[in-house]
Amino acid sequence: MKVSYYPGCSLESTGKSYDHSTREVCGALGVELQEVTDWVCCGSSAGLKMNRFVSTALSGVNLALLEKEEPGEVVAPCPFCYRRLASAQEEMRQDPKLKGEVEEVIDAELVGSLKIHNLVTFLREKVGLEAIGAKLKKPLAGLKVVPYYGCFMVKPQQVTGCGDTENPTSMDEILAALGAEVLDWDFKTECCGAGLSLSKTDKAVELSGRLIREAAFRGADAIVVACQLCQANLDVRQGQVGKEDNKQYDLPVIYFTQLMGLAFGLAPAALGLNHHLVDPVALLQKKGLIG
Amino acid sequence: MNRLTGAAVEKDFLSRVIEESGQNLLACLQCGKCSGGCPISSDEVAGPRRLIAEILYGNKRQALEDPTWWYCVACGTCMTRCPVEINMYRVATALAEMAEEEKVPPSEPDIHLFEELFLKSVEKYGRANELKVVMNFNLRTHHPFKDMGVGMTLMRKGAINPGEFLKGGRAGERVARIFSRISSKAQRKGTGE
Ligand code: SF4
Ligand code: SF4
Repeated sequence: MKVSYYPGCSLESTGKSYDHSTREVCGALGVELQEVTDWVCCGSSAGLKMNRFVSTALSGVNLALLEKEEPGEVVAPCPFCYRRLASAQEEMRQDPKLKGEVEEVIDAELVGSLKIHNLVTFLREKVGLEAIGAKLKKPLAGLKVVPYYGCFMVKPQQVTGCGDTENPTSMDEILAALGAEVLDWDFKTECCGAGLSLSKTDKAVELSGRLIREAAFRGADAIVVACQLCQANLDVRQGQVGKEDNKQYDLPVIYFTQLMGLAFGLAPAALGLNHHLVDPVALLQKKGLIG
Repeated sequence: MNRLTGAAVEKDFLSRVIEESGQNLLACLQCGKCSGGCPISSDEVAGPRRLIAEILYGNKRQALEDPTWWYCVACGTCMTRCPVEINMYRVATALAEMAEEEKVPPSEPDIHLFEELFLKSVEKYGRANELKVVMNFNLRTHHPFKDMGVGMTLMRKGAINPGEFLKGGRAGERVARIFSRISSKAQRKGTGE
């Protein structure tokens, strides 16, 4: 199976291990990721907040590039890039005037019929649990995890098409298929503080803190994520949350693709498991998942 | 204290927000489900329901100075839960554009600064240079060493690469051209052309 791949800026930088583990896992599953040539930033939350037209035009550039490529569908691991791409295509479908203005500014014409997937849904639905299960070499037995979906992949459902925004289960199912013990918890789609991490750090600590405390209360060994911004907030702010509570939480925040790779028997270093602030390696060694 | 004066601009305001956000605020029931689930609502930040009330009353100044839309992280929770499917991050964008146009000083300068630096980076390089944005933000807010320990540890672990500070972007020129076309287009619009 071949699919276009839009990594987005963070996955070239702070989210490198998400990019690497995605490529490794897709390779193992026989999914050929064709990175779209010369892609540009989607404008992220800054573009979306400050200038709707800039934000739509930036996604327009990417949509035009993607439409020229042969797969006709694209997968984006970053939930914000995913949602922005899907939303821009839909906004322009509903508003031909906007579409015309974007086309003029980007010097390209848009068809508007691209299939746009986030990585979790793509692996769960298009690749499927059977194919994932068939690659299982080292079950994640004894590893207690809470799956954390965050917002952008799921909400608003008018954009994402997610069937259950309060209790999505696609990542749960993938993790369970890999043999992990998936714990129930209520904060699957609560906000981590997202883009306020730097400009309103207190808010990000407060919101990430709720998630970390709840994950610890449920007895999780680790929090599993599908977003580099969630990863960064929960990982980097964990120390501050611990300080407020006079304890050390020690809850590694791991990409679901990293756990998939591990269960497929791929080398931990190739998955970037040594890149996180709260070290998952010690935990995974203790569980006998890393030699 | 914000008092309505009955001036025409106050009446125009509501229809402009509705038009530019594409959200029919007149359908709002003021039920508060949005604010109940909104992650940034707090004692200091009133949240989406209250912001809509300000707009419905034509309280333009108050709405443009409301920290809610600055804080809004576009999580989409409000739209997901709203009985009439109002999307508040679209309203946030409409207010941000209006506030900029009318030169209303940002009620949340730090958030404003971060968004500006981020977009400048995109304009310059075509892709965001996250590390540079972080560094510039910390310098400009006079906290040059904020999160420094974290940064050093991540560098030691190889999670971030100091070489990235120097990185340019191939997509840069193309994107800069798009930004400049958009701004000249906006100017033409502003002068009534
Ligand atoms: S949830 Fe919808 S109807 Fe209720 S107050 Fe918020 S915007 Fe209005
Ligand atoms: S999209 Fe904005 S206003 Fe709506 S719930 Fe999220 S943060 Fe609050």
